Amino acid sequence: MSRKKALKGKGSSNTPNSSPSAEKEKGKKVSSQANGVVHPSRPSLSNSGEFYDIAFKVMLVGDSGVGKTCLLVRFKDGAFLAGSFISTVGIDFRNKVLSIDSMRVKLQIWDTAGQERFRSVTHAYYRDAHALLLLYDVTNKSSFDNIQAWLTEIHEFAQQNVVIMLLGNKADATHERIVKREEGEKLAKEFGVPFMETSAKTGLNVELAFTAVAKELKHRELKEPNEPKFQLQEYVNKEMKGVGCCRS
Amino acid sequence: MPDVRMAAYVHSKGVSWEVKNDTLMPSDRLRQDRSESPTPGLVEGTEPGAGQEGAMFVHAQSFEDLTADSEPNTDNKSAEVDDAQEEALEEGDEEEHLESEQEEKGKEELKNSNKAKEEDVTSETWRSHRKHVFVLSEAGKPIYTRYGTEEALSSIMGVMMLLMSFVEDKKNIIRSIHADGYRVVFLRKTPLILVGVSRTSCSDRELTRELQYVYFQIVSLLTLTQLNHVFQHRQSYDLRRLLAGSEHLTDNLLRLLDRDPGLLLSAVMCLPLANSARDVVSSSLQAAKAKNLVFSILLAGNRLVTLVRKKDQFLHHMDLHLLFNLVGSSSSFREGEGWTPICLPKFNPAGFFHAHISYLEPASDLCLILVSTDREDFFNLSDCKKRFLERLRRRSAYQSLQEALNTPSYSLSQVGIPELRHFVYKSKSSGLYTSPDLPALYEGGEEQERLMGLYQHLHSCLHHPTRPLRCIYRCTDTENLYALVTSGFELYLCFSPLGTKSLAVSAVNRLLKWIRKEEDRLFILSPLTY
Repeated sequence: MSRKKALKGKGSSNTPNSSPSAEKEKGKKVSSQANGVVHPSRPSLSNSGEFYDIAFKVMLVGDSGVGKTCLLVRFKDGAFLAGSFISTVGIDFRNKVLSIDSMRVKLQIWDTAGQERFRSVTHAYYRDAHALLLLYDVTNKSSFDNIQAWLTEIHEFAQQNVVIMLLGNKADATHERIVKREEGEKLAKEFGVPFMETSAKTGLNVELAFTAVAKELKHRELKEPNEPKFQLQEYVNKEMKGVGCCRS
Repeated sequence: MPDVRMAAYVHSKGVSWEVKNDTLMPSDRLRQDRSESPTPGLVEGTEPGAGQEGAMFVHAQSFEDLTADSEPNTDNKSAEVDDAQEEALEEGDEEEHLESEQEEKGKEELKNSNKAKEEDVTSETWRSHRKHVFVLSEAGKPIYTRYGTEEALSSIMGVMMLLMSFVEDKKNIIRSIHADGYRVVFLRKTPLILVGVSRTSCSDRELTRELQYVYFQIVSLLTLTQLNHVFQHRQSYDLRRLLAGSEHLTDNLLRLLDRDPGLLLSAVMCLPLANSARDVVSSSLQAAKAKNLVFSILLAGNRLVTLVRKKDQFLHHMDLHLLFNLVGSSSSFREGEGWTPICLPKFNPAGFFHAHISYLEPASDLCLILVSTDREDFFNLSDCKKRFLERLRRRSAYQSLQEALNTPSYSLSQVGIPELRHFVYKSKSSGLYTSPDLPALYEGGEEQERLMGLYQHLHSCLHHPTRPLRCIYRCTDTENLYALVTSGFELYLCFSPLGTKSLAVSAVNRLLKWIRKEEDRLFILSPLTY
């Protein structure tokens, strides 16, 4: 069912589909792109009333309970949802506007429910996503073991050129840790995706995960033909903090 | 391991559980349920609170409608096994110590559950809960327990299964067991079995009705089609996997059943709101329509502000209560916009609707639910919400809505009847009820539940299957109660113990007059469609 449009890869409902061969103009006057990315010619008003220049869809996926919602809340509001377990119902949509290299990038973030029964809904929205943050919980082995299955699913339903980033969440929980950092790195290497460990509790690398993705997406869309590719992994490695040095 | 998980993933691509637009209604059955009324007293459709242009709900007489399909004509077959129950409980106790094989998985899921779940099932506190609810598969596998963990109860659930099949083996059906102040009620809804154990005065029928609700709660998460599919495929399937993260929904539903008169009366309460303001809200919602939109519902906490529906499509109050429960027990809709599949089992148990759920503002209690048949409709509905909000603001109705929210419902002093402490009035034809704020006396969970228990008892007298009463007056040490039912309405009143019967009878007329005077504020008189 959700496969039928998968190859088209143009999901955004609010994009007037103009010339796919759009010449890139200098500055901010960019026309719509074939990728479903919104490039308003003048700054537009997002849901939250904030202006932005360019918008992307980012999706959080991973097993239930790995901390997707917590990661998002930490990123969006700088708070940590302690205590009770809140399980997301279906998909939850939120916006955040970031400032990347003096450009306002709106991330439309789709927080998905990890439970099996919501799989069919989330599939339908994979193909519209420009980036996927795939999470596992370093204290939960099976969430790590499932990463491979998640990647298979992503390749089946998402766009070909989707940006994927693997995140090992709950890195603050040193005592309960079961999945070693090296194991995460190894897996990420195997599948050729950038990787880092995060903690929604302490805020470790949370901002970085989203900004790195936003940088990559922005770069892809707006780069000059002869400009070198943005090196996401390198950028991440440079900016990433280890578990040890960020225990504020 | 990961492969297994994905392989067992049941939303198989070939099967579609979507509700298709042209087959919105499963059958004509629901329409036929609309009642025809005889004429004595206040005729149905003219009672205070009756809608002017027909009802917006599928009409439910009362709970007869709900329990009808669960009560096969087997009165002669029903068996009450008296002392088997104690055996069952004891037996269970001994075996509960057995380690469960599914330890590992259980531990994982334990993390997701709340405190009530961590309770030791061998303890006295566990045994002393007023009402237990268990759900198991026909293979005897635990699916849900209100208290404690399912793993720890696998043997007691096995015993329940055994009891059931033992009686069925003799071509009989076990309906309930009464012993030692306990009532154990069994309900078989293939492929599930639901068991309620109660120490309250609540009747078998009431308990069965509550089990029905739990059953429909589960169906609303999965659809009946998928539920059947899963168990046809593998009888020993562990359904908790598909229901993971939904336990709190059932927990909350059971809490509502103990406290919310709406679920007892099969009716919904409206937010008291000036007629003109409600009209603006309703018409704004009506204007914000989309092709596949079937219901637009605006809630304020657990009260209905307005409901706009597609022409000729009716929502069942039970489905609405399930939506209330979904919204009320999830904090995840507060911030962003939620998008979730949901089956409305009374509408069509075979398919999913897709609901766009969002609060108008993160801090407000106003929650908008837009129900569509299209699973790709998120952005359309998100746009509907925007248009609705714009319209509301343009017609400056948002302010009055906020004000109505901030003022408490209404207090009994407005009604002005001495000795009257509380009442619940249901207009049968509109399926709506009204009730003042609980007086301080009944605030706090326990007292509230006690009052509800009293109403529940009156309700079951009025709706007794073989000897229904038209009215009942009951005196207790702490309050005097009066209840009556006509073809148009049901009314439950609670007086102080100083009240008299004649006072109670005369109060009814005064109260009805008052409700008539206030009806355009307390009820939705002109429901809209698009």
